[in-house]
Amino acid sequence: MNAVRSEGITPMNRQQQPAKEAKGAIKIEKVEKVYDPTGAAVQAVDRCSLDIGAGEICMIVGPSGCGKTTLLNAIAGFHSITDGAIYLDGDMLCGPGKPQAEPGPDRVVVFQNGALFPWKTNLENVAFGPIMQGTMSKAEANEKARDLMATAGLSGTENNYPGEISSGVRRRVEIVRALMNDPKVLLLDEPFRALDSLTKSVMHEALLDIYYKNKVTIFFITHDLEEAIFLGHRVVIMTTRPCKPKKMLEVDIPHPRDYSVLTSQRFRELMEETVEAVHEEAVKAFEAGEKEM
Amino acid sequence: MSSVDETLAFDPSREQRIKLLKGAMPFEPLSDELLGKIADIATTERVAKGAVIYQVGDPAKDLFVIANGQVEHALGPGAEATVLVKVVGRGDVIGWAALLKDRSRRLAKTTALVDCQLLRISGDQLMDVLSEDPEVAQDVLSRWAKMIIEDFTVPRWLAQVKDAPGRGEDGGPQTTSHLSGAALFWYRFSKWLTSPRPYLMLIGFAAFFGSWFVLSEVIHFWRFDNLPGPREVLIEWFNPDPIYGLSIYTPEYYDHIWWSIRRILIAFAIATGLGVPVGLFLGWSKKFREYVFPIFETLRPIPVLAWVPLAIIMFLSVEGPVIFLATLASFYATALNTMLGVESIEESYPRAAACLGASKWQIFRHVVIPGALPYVFTGLQISVGVAWFSLVAAEMVSGQYGLGYVINNSYTNVRYPTIVIGMITLGVVGYISSALIRMLGDYMMQWRVRELALGGQ
Amino acid sequence: MSATAASVRSGAWSRFGHAMNNERVRRAIISVIVFVGFWEIGSRSEDLFGYRFPWIGLIPAPTDVFASFVPLIGDQGYWTSWYQSTRRVFTGFIAAQIVGIPLGLAMATSRLFYNLSFPVFEVMRPIPPLAWVPAAIIFWPTEESSIAFVTFLGAFYVVVINVLGGAKSIDVRYFQSAYSMGASGWDVFRRIILPATLPSIFIGSAVGMGITWEVVVAAEMISGGGGTSGASGGGLGFFIWNAYIGGSYPLIVVGMISIGVAGYVSSSLIRKLGETFTPWRRLR
Repeated sequence: MNAVRSEGITPMNRQQQPAKEAKGAIKIEKVEKVYDPTGAAVQAVDRCSLDIGAGEICMIVGPSGCGKTTLLNAIAGFHSITDGAIYLDGDMLCGPGKPQAEPGPDRVVVFQNGALFPWKTNLENVAFGPIMQGTMSKAEANEKARDLMATAGLSGTENNYPGEISSGVRRRVEIVRALMNDPKVLLLDEPFRALDSLTKSVMHEALLDIYYKNKVTIFFITHDLEEAIFLGHRVVIMTTRPCKPKKMLEVDIPHPRDYSVLTSQRFRELMEETVEAVHEEAVKAFEAGEKEM
Repeated sequence: MSSVDETLAFDPSREQRIKLLKGAMPFEPLSDELLGKIADIATTERVAKGAVIYQVGDPAKDLFVIANGQVEHALGPGAEATVLVKVVGRGDVIGWAALLKDRSRRLAKTTALVDCQLLRISGDQLMDVLSEDPEVAQDVLSRWAKMIIEDFTVPRWLAQVKDAPGRGEDGGPQTTSHLSGAALFWYRFSKWLTSPRPYLMLIGFAAFFGSWFVLSEVIHFWRFDNLPGPREVLIEWFNPDPIYGLSIYTPEYYDHIWWSIRRILIAFAIATGLGVPVGLFLGWSKKFREYVFPIFETLRPIPVLAWVPLAIIMFLSVEGPVIFLATLASFYATALNTMLGVESIEESYPRAAACLGASKWQIFRHVVIPGALPYVFTGLQISVGVAWFSLVAAEMVSGQYGLGYVINNSYTNVRYPTIVIGMITLGVVGYISSALIRMLGDYMMQWRVRELALGGQ
Repeated sequence: MSATAASVRSGAWSRFGHAMNNERVRRAIISVIVFVGFWEIGSRSEDLFGYRFPWIGLIPAPTDVFASFVPLIGDQGYWTSWYQSTRRVFTGFIAAQIVGIPLGLAMATSRLFYNLSFPVFEVMRPIPPLAWVPAAIIFWPTEESSIAFVTFLGAFYVVVINVLGGAKSIDVRYFQSAYSMGASGWDVFRRIILPATLPSIFIGSAVGMGITWEVVVAAEMISGGGGTSGASGGGLGFFIWNAYIGGSYPLIVVGMISIGVAGYVSSSLIRKLGETFTPWRRLR
């Protein structure tokens, strides 16, 4: 449990500074999360520091159970932190005196197993956010929802229930539902994990497509190194539990990207640089037999 | 994908194609004009013996009409069919997965058993042609549905057949999922009739009634002698002038039924009106739960019927105790199941709602209540059964009128066949009340019915 | 299992458990006190306020109940009643298991048997067990056996339904992997169907236990107090009914609480038993 402590890692090089407006920059500062501090004291996150630029696609890669979901949950406001602070565009989300952030539409989560409400149609799901917040009337929200769904190629599924459509389509609806709220940050917790690889590759392109139109900050957790390098501006490789950044990689392949990137030489070079670090942590996690946190 | 030899001369004329299409079951009702249009978009293919036309999992763009030859059609496990391998020939249509929404991958592996000649039709183009005449299109699609159920026995794919062009609810396309409802029911029913099931069921009943009859009225075996036999009971039940005073012709019979039903309705209404909110709060609010649940759990082990004397003391009327007991039993079941329902809601749903800006009350209304609804309805079915259970006991002990009273009274007045009449009536009424609730639940939760039909989760 | 996870379990129980309990126990105690308080005041409302609360005003007060209980502790008859009821519950319950579990498993494994027997079963099920009491009394020679029969019926339905439910929900892939590894039909039954159905059997038993108590108490009240011979029988149900007829109202409540305790203890026993036999569910 005694990971090497350091004050955060300086990235290898920072060529890409994607966004123009300061919208959705996250600063994670020495965040620590210990479950059950007076009891078993399981440390999930160990003094993790990370700076994510506005509009950046930041991919978090790490073995199962390393605590990366805890980090996401802390940003989203589902978990408290025991030490450190997290800032969004300079405002403190959680930190000293306020251990848990409030969940809100500026940081919307897309969940691993999907959280589209099965009892509402796709349209009702997508329009849910603004209606709940009172920022739009039902008619306005429905209209915007239809438009957004159209741009994502989802026209025609508005009146279906989530249980009737395939999981790939469901994911897209969920992402659109998040985007309806003009969030600053999109928090994605292994959203494509349950999809087969064919659907996954289509989803990658769909996600990038959506990103190019919306430029939100994306905080994306994954196991899949390929997925990380393909999508991200930056890939952060986490250690096993307790997690902290072990290695960072700037992906200098220019956007917009398409699937031809996967076979490009630069892509393979980047894979080579990082695969060893990832594998090392994966072996450690395997031997420790960790359960997903 | 397919081994095609396009140079060889399989080139039927337009006339021939129309004729071929007309012979295929789904296309029967189409006018020659429409068939002509389909013929125009069709292309011809020749497939050599032994060649695989398509595999399970291939993307499905086209369907094929077999002009000549024989094809072996082997469904993969994902299709859940009862008959896995079929041989199809001239005039048959395969590859209908091209008409499925969103999931257009092949469900079967088709292999040519001899040299074959096929017409290949693009699924999208076919739908375009059909959409020119919506009514006919609907007809064709429901025929597809029937064919699918009958020949390929994969009913759940039904709901995914592409939208029939036509009126929908808010201007959207009308889905075939309710179109297929009636077709589905009819064909399921006819499938059921042709299976061994209903006959075995009859045999089971016959065995039961038969042995009862033989033991009590024929052989008078042991104590069965004292029991009224089925013949006796039936005669009495349908007797215009019953010996013991109660049959379907006597108004008292219906009086008693109504008394019992009335009590159940009141008890169930109160119990649900109290139980569902209490259950929801027990599940949702930790504070509420910690205060209320201990009392709840302490009182619950006390059998409802042990409350009878206390109820008689508390309620000075005659109806009071009876309704109270049924209400109590029903309340426990409803509250508990509702609470379980709330607890079983996946954590990610309220979290997602919170992310999207919903307040606590909004989450309660839009996530907790609909999410718990399936469990609530299961609980209500149990609760109605439990209400009947307690009602009968209460009526037997302290009632006047009502089916429980009938049973007890008939016993003390040595009217044995009436006992059985009472029991059977109770059974029927009890079953109907549960079924009504289940139907109400299905109606209110369309999304769940469809989800279950598609084998989701 | 890693050291961390193991320490989560044991450490969590001692520390975390205590921390939790303080708040929760306190609230529970408060609510019990409030409840008993209302009860006491309500039942004595006539004396206290000159106005009798509806319903609550008529029931015996907790203090009276307790006062009546104390002399009972030494009373032989009281504990015999306990024994009678418990005996009936367990005989009926075990009989229901012996008949119900094999029947349920048979229905689950053989399509033919299911189609033959389930419709009959389903048709009989809505008839409340207590409605069978007169028929049972007519049929069975002794009163005791008729009570036993009705008790058996009550638990029987629940057990069978739960076994069926458990068997149906076994993931078909378990079967497929077993067969692909060369298992015979009997192997599959013993090693897959039986263990997978075990949790459902126990849940069914816990619920069935509750119903059995209901039926026993009712049967005791009905046959012991409802007009036929009151001498035999006994049991806690009869105890309550007797107290009512005899006008000693506080004893009614004593009886009720006794049954509640007995019911709770027996259900817990079954649950504990279930946990021992299905250790793989412990860490859920």
